[in-house]
Amino acid sequence: MNSLLNYIQHNGSDILSALWQHIAISLVATIITILIAIPLAIALINHRKAGEAVLQVASVIQTIPSLAILGLLIPIVGIGTVPAIIALVLYAIMPVFSNAYAGLTNIDPLLDEAADAFGLSRRFKLLKVQLPLAMPMILTGLRIAVVMIIGTATLAALIGGGGLGTYILLGIQTNNNNALIVGAVLAAVLALITSALVKVLSTVSPRRLLTGAAVVLLLGGGIYGYNAWQSSRQETVTVAGKMGGEPELLINMYKDLIEQDNPNVHVQVKANFGGTSFLFKGLRSGKIDIYPEFTGTVLQSLVRNGGTVPHNPQTAYTHAQKLLSQQYQLSYLPPMAYQNGYALTVRADTARKYKLKTLSDLKRVPQLKAAFDPDFYQQADGYPGLQKAYGLNFSSVRTMEPALRYEALAKGHVDVTDAYTTDPQIREYKLVVLRDDANFFPPYQGAPLMRNDFAKKHPGIVRSLKRLRGKVTTKQMQELNYEVTVKHEKASTVAHRFLVQQGLIKK
Amino acid sequence: MIEFTNVTKTYAGSDALQAVNMKVESGELFVLVGPSGSGKTTLLKMVNCLNTPSTGTVAIDGVDVSSVNVRKLRQEIGYVLQAGALFPNMTVGENAAVQLLAQGWPEAKRRERVRSLLKQVGLDPDIFMDRMPSELSGGEAQRVGIVRALAVSPKMVLMDEPFSALDPLSRRQLQDLVLRLHKELDTTIIFVTHDMSEALRLADRLAVIHEGVLLQVGTPTEILAEPANDFVASFFDDDAKQRHFLTQVVAAGFGRPVQGGETVLPASATIYDWAALLRDQPDAVVASGKTALAPADLIAFMATLNGGVR
Repeated sequence: MNSLLNYIQHNGSDILSALWQHIAISLVATIITILIAIPLAIALINHRKAGEAVLQVASVIQTIPSLAILGLLIPIVGIGTVPAIIALVLYAIMPVFSNAYAGLTNIDPLLDEAADAFGLSRRFKLLKVQLPLAMPMILTGLRIAVVMIIGTATLAALIGGGGLGTYILLGIQTNNNNALIVGAVLAAVLALITSALVKVLSTVSPRRLLTGAAVVLLLGGGIYGYNAWQSSRQETVTVAGKMGGEPELLINMYKDLIEQDNPNVHVQVKANFGGTSFLFKGLRSGKIDIYPEFTGTVLQSLVRNGGTVPHNPQTAYTHAQKLLSQQYQLSYLPPMAYQNGYALTVRADTARKYKLKTLSDLKRVPQLKAAFDPDFYQQADGYPGLQKAYGLNFSSVRTMEPALRYEALAKGHVDVTDAYTTDPQIREYKLVVLRDDANFFPPYQGAPLMRNDFAKKHPGIVRSLKRLRGKVTTKQMQELNYEVTVKHEKASTVAHRFLVQQGLIKK
Repeated sequence: MIEFTNVTKTYAGSDALQAVNMKVESGELFVLVGPSGSGKTTLLKMVNCLNTPSTGTVAIDGVDVSSVNVRKLRQEIGYVLQAGALFPNMTVGENAAVQLLAQGWPEAKRRERVRSLLKQVGLDPDIFMDRMPSELSGGEAQRVGIVRALAVSPKMVLMDEPFSALDPLSRRQLQDLVLRLHKELDTTIIFVTHDMSEALRLADRLAVIHEGVLLQVGTPTEILAEPANDFVASFFDDDAKQRHFLTQVVAAGFGRPVQGGETVLPASATIYDWAALLRDQPDAVVASGKTALAPADLIAFMATLNGGVR
């Protein structure tokens, strides 16, 4: 509980801005939904067959998983808030349309006839008879849609749309319950409040409702316009990062370096932007300008390279750089020093006892008990390959959830586990990483990736980022990760402090 | 004058109305009566184009309704629907002023007009103007429905089974109201009902419709006295039992041949007409067809009736 309050205190302004972002996305999606669904329902009042058809289509759209819709939209509209809003609108149209349509078409036929019989104009009939009578149904649909939009908007974080989902994803990725609770609880509370608000709106007279809506629109538009005007005065460069604390640290370093050297450039940081493919597509389509990528990931998942991954880090980088430029016209700047690849770790006392330094040393101690992440245990570049390369033969090997294996190791239930080399738990539990002396694991070095045309146009930015070449050792990265994901310090603060310490930037 | 000429209506191949020809005179309270599904409402709605004939024409004062602007036509015809059919989202005042609004009356005039009409139908405008329909009784709601129909002082008011959902007492009060308003306002009223006693009570003339066929048009007494066929006779049977015609007195064997000097009453005259006459001229002898009836015959006839005349 205390740590939760602490977390909120430390990240208060970020949480608030995520909340605003969430509200903004939801509001825009709701308004667009209303503007589409309700006029459509009105237009189709006297075309029942077309109305039914629209209803069917909307229902079908709703059965498509939201993640799939987001995926489908990326090649068309890119990433960020736009596809998130489109996906939300596609979802919300169904409840709003179906309720509005049912409300408008199920008006007591006697009242419908009365409106006709007195020679009312179509507009008068619509505004004074049909819409008011359908209003309870319309508002019911709206409530359902708003609650759904607010809930589903958490997925926007997956494609860099921001909002409260950022905290939920962050919480899951970094095993940070506080972030998870903040994101989930705020989203739920927001949904409840909005639902209640819509209910209250149903008792307000239509004229006031319209005035209120106009005020909200004007205010929202004004704020949006002001922000857009503000940001248009500087060149904005978007730097995004994958889920987790480490990429967030890296992109904040990029930001500080770029902004110090190029005062007319404003760097927009999009942390926890999503998975590899989201970022790669976003970079290629120009939605983002720079993101840090690992050499190993480039060679294994992004480029076609005939399946071979060089084990020498330097060769791997030059190979990746060449292929990215050839196949995708991307510039891959020189990597930092640290490696965030697979490794095996043991407790310090085990290492001392058996004099373990390298993976080859493990061959001498088959009596050790090993526990591996299920993926690592199965993949060819995981334990099976490792076994062959080093001739390992542990007496006891079992699989264990990634989150549990460090604790099991620290408590002495097992002796050897797999790890990522920059995991903060290595520092937290003072574990020993065994050297991959046969160069079995592919190298995973982080380096900035950008489009060739961007690099050509911004030599200053390229120069700034090149200053990170060979900087940040694996140990330093562990320490930085520890500060962000275990001690929950802000990534921007930690990154800035580090750069100052290293003399890369002035205060 | 409203004239129906060879009006038919066909739904999905079957005839809902078969070659209806009839005229409604200006200023008349004309009742369309028949069992449900007979086609009387269909016929009514053809007047303000809520329904259109498959063949044939409906003309108001010689002008075919299908040839004029529908909205304009409807704005000048009052319409009273079942159970009032007030718009639940509007106050009584707004409901009543709907047609005035459609005609473009200014607000102050609308209010004034509605207030005076509310008074005329026995609703205090101070109390009722701002009430919502949900706060009204069935009878009050239908009074507002009538005000709404009369608001623009239409030459013609159509009433579609307006009182069928009301309790007998309210129904009677509203029937009285309609009779009174009809007398006061000089409006043509076409009134649809399936209730024959309501028809007999209200109608100047009535038209009996059954299964899309117009069976008979006439005054209530004409129809009761000389029903066109068995259906009409049986439809009004209950009411006819409570009415007694001079023809029945003759049929019962009373009277003597006409000698001249008797007051001749029409074939449709009832014993009430006879009794009313006797109140003024206690010695009058009346003639029905070729038979003369003396006051004593009335007393003797009434003595034969089971339970007496109600």
